[in-house]
Amino acid sequence: MALQEATALLGRFKDAIGKKDLSTADSLLGQLKVKLIQLPALPPTFEKSATAQQELLLGREVLEQAVLLSCKKQDEAAMERSFTQLRTYYNDTRTLVPASANEVAMQGLNLLRLLVQNRIAEFHTELELIPPVAQKDPAIQQPVQLEQWLMEGAYNKVLAAAKNSASEVHGMLLAQLATTVRDEAASCSEKAYERLKLADAQKLLLFDSEAAVKAYAQEHNWAVVDGYVVFKTEATEGTTASKAIPSLELINNALVYAKELERIV
Amino acid sequence: MEVDKPEVPKENGAEAVASAAAPATLEDKLKSVVALVEKSVKAKDTRLLIGRLLRQTATVRKQLTAANVKAFLRQTLPADLESRTFLTGQVEQAASSSMESDEATTAASCESTSVLPEVELYAYLIVLLFLSDRQEYKLARTVADAAVARVGQFNRRTLDVIAARIYFYYGFAYEQTGELESIRSSLLALHRTAVLRHDAIGQETLMNLLLRNYLHHNLYDQAEKFRSKAQKADQWRSGQQYCRYLYYLGRIRTIQLEYAEAKDCLQQSLRRAPSIAHGFRITVSKWLILVRLLLGEIPDRTEFAQPGMSAALQPYFELTQAVKAGDMRAFKQVAERCHDVFLADATHNLITRLHHNVIRIGLRRINLAYSRISLAEIAAKLHLNNAEDAEYIVAKAIRDGGIDAVIDHDGGFMASRERPDVYSTAEPQAAFHARIAFCLDLHNEAIKAMRFEPDAHRRKQETSEARQERLAAEQELAKALEEDEDDF
Repeated sequence: MALQEATALLGRFKDAIGKKDLSTADSLLGQLKVKLIQLPALPPTFEKSATAQQELLLGREVLEQAVLLSCKKQDEAAMERSFTQLRTYYNDTRTLVPASANEVAMQGLNLLRLLVQNRIAEFHTELELIPPVAQKDPAIQQPVQLEQWLMEGAYNKVLAAAKNSASEVHGMLLAQLATTVRDEAASCSEKAYERLKLADAQKLLLFDSEAAVKAYAQEHNWAVVDGYVVFKTEATEGTTASKAIPSLELINNALVYAKELERIV
Repeated sequence: MEVDKPEVPKENGAEAVASAAAPATLEDKLKSVVALVEKSVKAKDTRLLIGRLLRQTATVRKQLTAANVKAFLRQTLPADLESRTFLTGQVEQAASSSMESDEATTAASCESTSVLPEVELYAYLIVLLFLSDRQEYKLARTVADAAVARVGQFNRRTLDVIAARIYFYYGFAYEQTGELESIRSSLLALHRTAVLRHDAIGQETLMNLLLRNYLHHNLYDQAEKFRSKAQKADQWRSGQQYCRYLYYLGRIRTIQLEYAEAKDCLQQSLRRAPSIAHGFRITVSKWLILVRLLLGEIPDRTEFAQPGMSAALQPYFELTQAVKAGDMRAFKQVAERCHDVFLADATHNLITRLHHNVIRIGLRRINLAYSRISLAEIAAKLHLNNAEDAEYIVAKAIRDGGIDAVIDHDGGFMASRERPDVYSTAEPQAAFHARIAFCLDLHNEAIKAMRFEPDAHRRKQETSEARQERLAAEQELAKALEEDEDDF
């Protein structure tokens, strides 16, 4: 009974996502989740029954769609939740149901999400879980490549990737990445240049207009003088500070040595 | 992965010769071990068990044959004990499958009707050793299952050491048959019991088995969660287990990009590993090399040239050379050529991460060599697509402190800053302090690691008998250290 109802609901849910009717999809998802609880074959009980396979397939599809939905809604927390639930299906039901065609794509999205949230350590932990064969898939290769570019500092490539992304869902995630990337690029420029033309700054930081650059410069306390952005040079302050003798630190060190030596002798 | 794999005697001929020559001594040795077990149980002294028992077992291990294992079972276990029939049956199966002639032995049968649980489980352990050395992993698994079930029926602290060894072979047998994930929950249950009973050695062994189990399936997240939540003593009872733990921790930290800590752990682990543990040392070295490269250090050439390791480390050596030169093209070549090796070592993802270090090192070389260089030139030298890419990469390198330079966007060049004299800064002082702190720490650690017998201060004079025994024990220890440790 519950299975048939849930299947019908899933159909409507998919329709709603297809029509981009996100609020309806959201409420349908809520109903679907309630139905899923009533199915005995789903994790964590894994009860064996005649319809177990159908139930598992259904549960998996619902969650896959839920990930896509949360992605479209730009709700990262919901996406993380859905994916965590989905992972149980991918890991523990391998022997029970055929592998999902969407599995690699879902993992790719999850990696992308971790990148967007700047959770690099978790990104690598997740990556280790993906078997080497699947890592050759473009869905996984893209986030891996992006991560490399981020590490190198090739921000222009990251932003270019955001502009011509493969699918709508990817585009949304990558657009969020763009803001993070801009802040990174700005903090690099701050250190690397002494002064920069406004036009160049606009290009480097990938702004649409000079006015936007000026607003951004104000936020970061950069001075704008005759068409140049002038970054503060901290280098001069640094050298004077290093010349002073750090007496307090030296005294502390000496006291520690004295104490330790006393213990030995 | 050949880490932790007990040495498997490969030449059957040599083994047969050894068993023909030494059955008498083997029997004696086993008998003395059993006597030792009985004595230590009586004295409730677990310390004796840890050291001597395991060392003596290691010496008999290579001489075990089906015939003398059976003889040992007949001698030590009473006839009506279930375990005896079970174990004998398993050994016979192993012997028949390897087509070994089963010469009839006329060993005296055990007369007593009861036996200490420690001795009984020691018999299990001997059978497990025998089976794993024969690579009869299916049989070993059945025996291990039975042994673990039997251990669960007792709650004796004197049993801990033997139980820990049994757990180890339990995990080993399952790993060899490729069903590691199936024992995860039972290992967790055993670990919980061990913690509740303050069974330190079992706790350590089981924790490593679990970590190994998780890492085998690349479940770094679970491994780290378990590791951080599990109860750990400040001081590890077993050096070998600690060494292994450090290796697992190092791997977890590497994946989490905490390279500095990973390096510490792996280095410690490598230092603590006995020189005979070849497979283990090679694996740790591979990880350590990668971590150091990721940290921007270049490992010394001598590290690759250690005896017996140079062949296994060859791909890593080539990789290091490419990174050292900052040569992107050579790096890509090595990564492609040795891809299968890296895949087998499960280090291919780390190699991908190295990519940006190669660029960084190449950039640093350029920065040192030129006081001013155009961005297009940099792009050409580093095999980047164009000057624009180079500009972003240089900017990030400057921010991260990799190089000290300024970019002039209008001129399109990078100008290196004057390098200040290092000796005018606080740098040497900081380095000196770090070294002193390390030495002091080492001293404190050494003191903490010292162990004394509980009533050592009370005993004033030792009797001549005790003295002789002590000397014998010391001699044995020295000998065992030479041959060394079976568990690597």
